[in-house]
Amino acid sequence: MGDAFFNEAETGLMCAERHLERAGYARFLEIRLMIEGDQLQTVLPPREDLIGNVNLPALHGGVLGSLLDVTASLALVYHAVLTNPPRLVNIDVDYLRTGRVLQTFGAAEVVRMGRRAANVRARLWQDDPERPIAVARAQFLLPQRGV
Amino acid sequence: MVLEENDPGPGISVLLPGHPRLANDESDQVFHTGAILAIIDNTAGWCIRDHPDYVEGTSMATLDLRVDFLRRISLTQTLRVRAECEAINDNVAFVRATAEDAESGLVVAAGLATFMLGTPSGLEPKIGPV
Repeated sequence: MGDAFFNEAETGLMCAERHLERAGYARFLEIRLMIEGDQLQTVLPPREDLIGNVNLPALHGGVLGSLLDVTASLALVYHAVLTNPPRLVNIDVDYLRTGRVLQTFGAAEVVRMGRRAANVRARLWQDDPERPIAVARAQFLLPQRGV
Repeated sequence: MVLEENDPGPGISVLLPGHPRLANDESDQVFHTGAILAIIDNTAGWCIRDHPDYVEGTSMATLDLRVDFLRRISLTQTLRVRAECEAINDNVAFVRATAEDAESGLVVAAGLATFMLGTPSGLEPKIGPV
């Protein structure tokens, strides 16, 4: 107890929900959280102002990239029960399919978590989890004890 | 987000003033990395239309985008994103983009993207120079 970094009373879900609430940009996108088994999932509701291509129509690639960022970050917060948010160093997004104007789901896997940095892989899908529409790998700096 | 029409450099540049809905976290009041990524993606796509080999009306889809976040930037500042299409070959456009603090010029993020260009919208398929 008394440790600001690892607070035993807090669960990963509580930390993830608080980070989501405090992030104005994630709130603007109306990203929500849900738990599937032992996995944290994100949900982005479809919205007309998130369309990047009006002819198809398709969700904006930048918004999908943002969702991958938020998904990777919150998965890390959830698994490591981080009180302070990790900081994104870089992200590499591959766009695989058109993001249709549907609900978009996200999930991420912490590949490696060291003392200072973590590597996370995230993916997004819509109606079929086996058909991802975008994937990403991201490097995060972890919050340091006492900072 | 506004296009800077009098930008002297190659490619294009846009300005995005800070706003609470772009916030990373209530406590730090800096731009969210996701918001920076989104405006880089957007500007990178726009700058392709500025390239001489771009055929007007061609659709485009981001294939991949990598962004390095070099430093954080306060929401009291304005972000300037510059993007330049380096080449369009075999319907793939290669773009480099940077986001900087519009006041100090310090680079905040650096991005590298490729886009797949589709057929021009309209009835007649247009054939480019051989």
